[in-house]
Amino acid sequence: MDLFRRLFSQTSTKPENAPEELNKEQGEPDNVETKQFTEVSEGNDVTESAEYTPSDGATRPLPLESVISTKNSHLRFGQSTDVGMVRNNNQDAVLSFFSTSRSVEEQPDFGLFIVADGMGGHHDGEKASAMTARLVTNHVMNHIYLPMLNDRGSNDRPPITEILVEGVQKANADVISQVPEGGTTLTAVTVIGDLAYIVHVGDSRVYLVTKDGLEQITRDHSLVRRLIELDQLTEEEAVDHPQKNVLYRAIGQSETLEVDANTKRLPPNSRLLLCSDGLWNLVDDKEIGEIVMSHDNPQEACDKLVALANTRGGTDNITAILLLIPG
Amino acid sequence: MPETTQFAGIDGTTGGYNSLQAGTVLLARYKIMSVLGGGGQGAVYQARDLNFPDVKKLVAVKEMLNPATDPSLRASTIKTFQREANILATLSHPAIPKIYDFFDWNDRAYLVMEYIHGSDLEELLSKTKSLPVDKVIEWAIDLCDVLEYLHNHQPEPIIFRDMKPANVMIDNLGKARLIDFGIARTFQPNVKKTMIGTEGYSAPEQYKGNAAPSSDIYSLGATLHHVLSRRDPRLEPPFSWPERPLLDLNDQVPPALAAIVEKAVEFDPEKRFQSCLEMKKALEELRYRPFSMGGDNGHHALDRREEVSKFLSGELGSQPEPRWQFKTEDEIRCNPIVYRDLVFVGSYDTNMWALRLQNGELVWKFATNGGIASSPIIDEENRAVLFGSEDYSFYSVDIRSGRINWSYRTEGRIRSTAQLAHGRVFFGSDDGHLYGLMAANGRFLWKYDLGSEVQSSPVVTNEIIIVGSASGEVAAVDLSGGKRKWGVRAKRGVLSSPYVDQVEGFCYFGSSDQHVYAVDTSVGFTAWRFHTRGSVISSPTMQNGILFFGSADNNVYAIDAQTRREKWKFATEKPIVGSPTIYQDAVYIGGTDGYLYCIDINTGKERWKFKTNGPITSKPCIAGDTLLVGSMDHTLYALPLIG
Repeated sequence: MDLFRRLFSQTSTKPENAPEELNKEQGEPDNVETKQFTEVSEGNDVTESAEYTPSDGATRPLPLESVISTKNSHLRFGQSTDVGMVRNNNQDAVLSFFSTSRSVEEQPDFGLFIVADGMGGHHDGEKASAMTARLVTNHVMNHIYLPMLNDRGSNDRPPITEILVEGVQKANADVISQVPEGGTTLTAVTVIGDLAYIVHVGDSRVYLVTKDGLEQITRDHSLVRRLIELDQLTEEEAVDHPQKNVLYRAIGQSETLEVDANTKRLPPNSRLLLCSDGLWNLVDDKEIGEIVMSHDNPQEACDKLVALANTRGGTDNITAILLLIPG
Repeated sequence: MPETTQFAGIDGTTGGYNSLQAGTVLLARYKIMSVLGGGGQGAVYQARDLNFPDVKKLVAVKEMLNPATDPSLRASTIKTFQREANILATLSHPAIPKIYDFFDWNDRAYLVMEYIHGSDLEELLSKTKSLPVDKVIEWAIDLCDVLEYLHNHQPEPIIFRDMKPANVMIDNLGKARLIDFGIARTFQPNVKKTMIGTEGYSAPEQYKGNAAPSSDIYSLGATLHHVLSRRDPRLEPPFSWPERPLLDLNDQVPPALAAIVEKAVEFDPEKRFQSCLEMKKALEELRYRPFSMGGDNGHHALDRREEVSKFLSGELGSQPEPRWQFKTEDEIRCNPIVYRDLVFVGSYDTNMWALRLQNGELVWKFATNGGIASSPIIDEENRAVLFGSEDYSFYSVDIRSGRINWSYRTEGRIRSTAQLAHGRVFFGSDDGHLYGLMAANGRFLWKYDLGSEVQSSPVVTNEIIIVGSASGEVAAVDLSGGKRKWGVRAKRGVLSSPYVDQVEGFCYFGSSDQHVYAVDTSVGFTAWRFHTRGSVISSPTMQNGILFFGSADNNVYAIDAQTRREKWKFATEKPIVGSPTIYQDAVYIGGTDGYLYCIDINTGKERWKFKTNGPITSKPCIAGDTLLVGSMDHTLYALPLIG
């Protein structure tokens, strides 16, 4: 629709005769009136076609590929979780929500993606992670998404980061009182437009992957990570360290909880991966980068990552969410 | 006799824990009065010893749960409790509560001990604004003494293992008492991942299960650090003491005390005090060193010693001598601006002054009918200086001749500084509007109603213009037609100018509600805000991802926009209302204390300061190697830039 307007609007090229409808669906020459286009107007979302040579005077329809605009592309995501090869139950909780719209009101695209890796005897871990994922989602929907849908006007709501941290702390309080022996990690990414807001506690991870490489955006709240930061331990020593799994920060641990919060602009054509340690403990950064960048289908990429972790032993529950950012 | 409700979860499943009810009598002797505290391990009760019927003898009764199900495990747990209770029963030290009795009943074990009237340090921290350093030193000495006693116990040293503010009670006589000897520890359930709760105070070797007397020294250091800095180590990454130096966080702490605490929390046990006796002796030295509160204490002396040595090594500059200064007839509240060899500045004396940059010689002055608080800007294309006046009008004046090109009258005072973009000039007025005029001839294009005085300077980015107003409303308006794209609202007025980071797509502005806000400019959502203790009237500026601004809480802040953590904070004696200018590796900012400060951009330490005789509320301007700043002492100063 946009392309149509651009091609035929008064401010760009001036066609001599009245405009005719261009049949995008079929592109058959018989249905199209002859029309000379001297130039394609600005706002080039039309890809140049190599076969199109305007100088011979003949009229032909534009190749389909050159007419398809990328204005309507949006973030796509995949989500996979698996119990792994060793555990009896899956204590990970995962959630993805995404909404995209186009209208004169210019609502930004909105997404919420959560990975929570539960811990605790019996069923406490899975209770804690499920509850946390649900409560955080509830909070985000009520305090960010729904208000966004109401007439925004001039908003005096608290900053997004504060709302997200508050949601995590409320979930923490509820887990402490309702699942006292349980705990969970929590990594949540809220996407508004092209800005990702990340709130995080524990050792699940978020990676940003571009063709230039892979960057781990979250910080592991694990003891060994801290010792590595302080040069008290090397990465190699950490692999077999007895306290490898000790977390100094998790949901359900203590009433005072410090939540990491940061923002990241998502560049075009980049990928964002959220995963539990069941994945990153068995698949290294390089492999993650390769798999993520080589798949155009995010669901396939997630499934592949999970399968790879399983072939390596699948010692823990494995969870991954992959976001593909449009170009 | 009321029975205790049976503990439903004794087989290990979670089902909630039922504590004893008030009125329950244990062993026909201890009557439960109330719950003092406790949690997952079991409660602590206040009880009355009925063996003394004529008086109210209070005791503390600690309850220990034994959730293990396996019978031999349960038996060995009970043995462990008994062994520890026996040790405790033989201890005798003023800081250790006396043990009176130990028994098990109804699948739980109970320890009866001395009841302490007082509060623990965690409570004290939450109920007070600050704790006197000399008292903290006394408590530290008490604790070193009791730890030394425990470490010297025969046949085996007793490691306390859980030193933290919540385990230190200050009794009614002001003495520190140790509580919770870990005897109430439950058997750890087998968890998939181990979570360590209060590890902010635990020594690194304790994570490996190796506790030694030096671990108690570490935990004592951590406890003291928390009490003195009021920063809970559990909320920070473990072992991050160097990020929170005591001297920076509490100016009542003498350097010697900071050194003692820092030595106690050394990562390597070999580097800590090798015994509590050693630490106690170091603390006792502090007792007799006189230092007064809020005056000439050791901290300031150290500062001055540092200053002297820096001065001698050439690091600390002496106050620069101005190249020239020009006195106008009233306060200078706006920023000067330079164009080629001329400098322009407006004064409250109603004039716009044009002076020679070289020597401050007067070239021309342009009189309006009101004070000039808006800063001039240069319109190179039309060779004009543009500015507003409190006489309601906005002016365009020829750069060379000082003759008027055009003027435009609004319905309110103009204090906002204009912005030029695409041949248009934008500015706000106290009449509540943002105006857009043609720069060449002052022709009116559009105006946008913000509803309250617009004193902030607008910022143009991409195709929108962002400006704040006195009600706290910050609007983003379309450049061409004045149509609103988005708006956010702070709780109080936004009087300063926003700063836009085009690369990351954020807009930063300060508000009189004490915050600096960060807004995502593409959608108009507030991403985060940073809290200070005073109004932020200063306009922020940014370099390398660090945001710089001043606050009415007397500080100049440098915060990392990514992590939102303070990189440094520079304290002055009075509110900061002026805005910073960055040049090379220094931040230049004026305070209402009359000083123009030059602060090192990386360390936040003062390089030099220049005294004027009135508050500086404007932003310094740098041209070549000259810094120009106006003060409310009516004078414009031209300072040479050092180094």
